[in-house]
Amino acid sequence: MPDNWAYVMAAYAVAALAVGAYWRHLAARARALRERPAQTRRRRTA
Amino acid sequence: MKPDRLTTLLGGLAALGLVVGLAAAFGYAPREAVQGNVQRIMYVHVPAVLTAYLAILMVLVGSVGYLVTRRAGWDHVAGAAGELGVLFTAITIASGSIWGRPTWGTWWTWDARLTSTAVLLLVYAGYVLLRGVLADEPDRRARFSAVVGILGAVNVPIVHFSVKWWRALHQPSTILGPEPSPIAPPIAMALLVNWIAFTLLFAYLLTRRVEIARLEDAV
Amino acid sequence: MTTYARRAWIVLWKDLRIERRSRESVNALLFFALLLLFLFQFALGPDRARLEAALPGLLWLGCVLAGLVGLGRTFLVERDNDCLEGLVLAPGDKSAIFVGKLAVNVALMAAVELVLLAGAGVLYGLDLTGAAGPLALVLALGTLGLAAMGTLYGALTVQLRARELLFPVLLLPAQVPVLLATVALTQAALAGEPLAAAGPWLTLLAAADCVYLVVGMLTFEFILEA
Repeated sequence: MPDNWAYVMAAYAVAALAVGAYWRHLAARARALRERPAQTRRRRTA
Repeated sequence: MKPDRLTTLLGGLAALGLVVGLAAAFGYAPREAVQGNVQRIMYVHVPAVLTAYLAILMVLVGSVGYLVTRRAGWDHVAGAAGELGVLFTAITIASGSIWGRPTWGTWWTWDARLTSTAVLLLVYAGYVLLRGVLADEPDRRARFSAVVGILGAVNVPIVHFSVKWWRALHQPSTILGPEPSPIAPPIAMALLVNWIAFTLLFAYLLTRRVEIARLEDAV
Repeated sequence: MTTYARRAWIVLWKDLRIERRSRESVNALLFFALLLLFLFQFALGPDRARLEAALPGLLWLGCVLAGLVGLGRTFLVERDNDCLEGLVLAPGDKSAIFVGKLAVNVALMAAVELVLLAGAGVLYGLDLTGAAGPLALVLALGTLGLAAMGTLYGALTVQLRARELLFPVLLLPAQVPVLLATVALTQAALAGEPLAAAGPWLTLLAAADCVYLVVGMLTFEFILEA
């Protein structure tokens, strides 16, 4: 069977992108927390 | 150890582990006889599904822990693990699908693992959705998602068997499939290394996410 | 009768009396089931063999879809009549309420299944009487499993603004294993095979029902908490 390196790369890339995107999302949330301290965000209950 | 230092340490270990894992997957592990190099996707696919199961277990632990102690920390762990569960089941499915295309000819096969993982993705995506809807009510969020987390976890083995038997009814197992049948030691070793790396990555992301949850709820 | 059983019975009896007085919701649900049979026919075309082959799946699909509409109702009625708080503040073991509501949902689903079976017999021209015994067992076990999940998620989501979205989204994936088991068993039953041939499925279904019941009874107090 041919090696299908493109598929291998694609699979690894998808995994890396997914983890990377989540990691960046966490970093953004952490940054938002640091830059807006002590502001209550409680709203009316659902 | 302060949370920041623990997090950094875990991050460093995770990064190291992933590099070693890559080296093992591409350098150390041999070219598989039947499928060729496309089989190397397994070093992402299998650790991803194992990590997903770890995440689901953590959701269960956090959920039970919260209902018993009513301490928010347990809920933070459960919520973080739920998000990671969605992440890693998604990676499992994507890598499994990409692996299946050249080996089986189609993007999707109702293979037992892919299908059960897809069901789990739906369950835990619902879990994350529920938590999102209740983002502003930490108490109800914690309580409701704890129940959903427990229900989801107890269903995991039931889903696993039902899908496995269902598939056996409809398709005989193929020899040429994403699981090469006996596992040669170098392959097993590369798999182990990558699994450890993924687990470290999970621990790192979990710690970061829990810290964020703790800070957000303290506001 | 023990206090626990009496409390569950009161919940069941109250809901049945309400339904008997205002018959609208049950009638609408049964009509919905009948409509589904028409939809299946239109979707699958006039070929009788195709319908007959798909019958186990269609039957349970009908149950699941009717469940989406019907299983949350028992709590919606409470909410719309401002009675939820009464349930929440009820003293004692809340799991009795779970058992009572579960019984209501099982009764409702049984009615739906009767309509589906009778309807399938008439509209699709199929004779199902041969498999009545095994079918009844599968229906009982399957309905219990579907209704248990529906009762739990129904009680939970009724307290949310996003109920319409979250009830189906949470419930459907949870019902997958019961669906797979009941379809496989129904297929065996309709083909005239003894259910023992599909023994593992039966064990799985029974085990799932036990798990759902126990976990449901243990966690219900957390769903209906003040």
